[in-house]
Amino acid sequence: MNNDPFFIDFPQRVVRLQTLMANSGIDVYLGTRLRTISWLADAFCPWRSYIVVPASGRPTLFTFVIDASRIADDSWLGEDGVLGYAPLGGMDQIGAISDHIKELLKGKKGRIGIEDGMSSYLPEGNITHYEYQAFSSALGGCEFINAHHLVDGLQLIKDIGTINRFREASRIVDVGHHAIFKELSHGGWKGLTETEVAGLCALAMRREGSEWEWSFTGGNEIASGYRTGYAGGACTPPTRKKLFSGEPLMIDIHAMFKLALGDHSHNYFIGSATDRQLWHGNNFVAIVAQTLKTYRPGITPCSLAEQMLAYAEEGGFAEYMVPGFEHGIGMLGDEWRIGAHDGPFPYWTNPDHLYAENEVLVCAMQYACPEENIGFRYENVILITKDGCEPLSKFSLGVEVIP
Amino acid sequence: MVEYLSTQWCEKAGEALRKGLDPETMKFITTSVTYTYNNCSDGGTKFFYMKCLNGIVEEAQVGSGEGPAAEFQIIGNYELFAQLSQGIISSHKALMSGRLKVKGNMVKALKLASLADRINKTLSAIDTKY
Repeated sequence: MNNDPFFIDFPQRVVRLQTLMANSGIDVYLGTRLRTISWLADAFCPWRSYIVVPASGRPTLFTFVIDASRIADDSWLGEDGVLGYAPLGGMDQIGAISDHIKELLKGKKGRIGIEDGMSSYLPEGNITHYEYQAFSSALGGCEFINAHHLVDGLQLIKDIGTINRFREASRIVDVGHHAIFKELSHGGWKGLTETEVAGLCALAMRREGSEWEWSFTGGNEIASGYRTGYAGGACTPPTRKKLFSGEPLMIDIHAMFKLALGDHSHNYFIGSATDRQLWHGNNFVAIVAQTLKTYRPGITPCSLAEQMLAYAEEGGFAEYMVPGFEHGIGMLGDEWRIGAHDGPFPYWTNPDHLYAENEVLVCAMQYACPEENIGFRYENVILITKDGCEPLSKFSLGVEVIP
Repeated sequence: MVEYLSTQWCEKAGEALRKGLDPETMKFITTSVTYTYNNCSDGGTKFFYMKCLNGIVEEAQVGSGEGPAAEFQIIGNYELFAQLSQGIISSHKALMSGRLKVKGNMVKALKLASLADRINKTLSAIDTKY
């Protein structure tokens, strides 16, 4: 019995994948996606990496040699399970990995699972056309089968160690929010830029142990004034724009704890707010609260969106709601769609995906009124519970005026 | 003068390595390496196997074929190894150009790279007929 609250049984995770591989007639799984590598190796792999999962036994991770020793130190796979590649004879990634797979196949021609597809998320890491051709050539006679669905299925429901890592990442994000609120209050905002706000949040979270502001969307996303209200927008890397009184401010910050991702967005008005601005703010807070009440097992992204858009219509603000209420989340690299690839649009969230207990996702909502230079964003990692959801960030919901 | 990769050369190689490289110079390493020579003069493959225990060269073997399994295998053409031994080409260039192939844990190989150079230097001092 392991008493570490953040413990994940990685060997068991591998065995579960190997069972699915056996059922699918796959001899070796060649993982290239960041989400697969994080999930199996439990280490941050910023360089192009490959994880080779044999039919039985431990996987081997291949990464750029300059980072192999560090990853071996961080990962449960250790020195013998993390190998470096480099542009040297026999050590290039295609050569080294092909040789390794040949040894696993013991001279036979096998079926190799690969990860192919597409993603809106840039660092996804699907196998490239070149890699596919090169591996096919080096492993002549082997059959390559797109098999990412095996990993995707296993990643969906989170174990307690993973959930606890998400709790900790969310706790750290909350510390960042408290710190920046204190920093901005009582005129502290005067003269600050969005990038400075992002940095102050980062400092507070790093002091709590956050490993980085993991989001590829510029780390901590800070927007003020008109930048909060981009039409249909939900991505705001910070700029050198200064904060001004009377403007909305969106603080969307990210922390990482043992590859689990914290993500919470909170909104303010700087200095003062008009009645009209407060009306927008109240609309947003109301629909977020309603959404959090609605998430539960059995509901789908589509049915939830329908209910929430109807709610917004009743409140007279439907035209300001961006019609999306979630994005996926998992260990680093798993930040995009939700569920399996079984919806009407390949590699997008299935609108009919049935949420289940112990799924973790980001409740993500965007309100945008560009003509009034105002918008708000809510993001919070939520855990689907037996009969509802638990927002993991405990920072209070609201749109406050910062004096 | 002894013929490269002959039994006599192997005996001299083992002796030279034991005399020329003390355990401290060899960082007290325990490892094994098989050099595989393809396209030898008879068209076949030969090997030179070396095992090191706590920095002491314990075993050196030559023979036909790919040779015993070792922690590292270094594969190349006979002609290339001959050039390496005579200092005509550097091992670095041979590796970077892909003419020499290494199999094994690259991170460990990097740790041993300087030792490999010392071994090659010692072997190159043997009066050899290629």
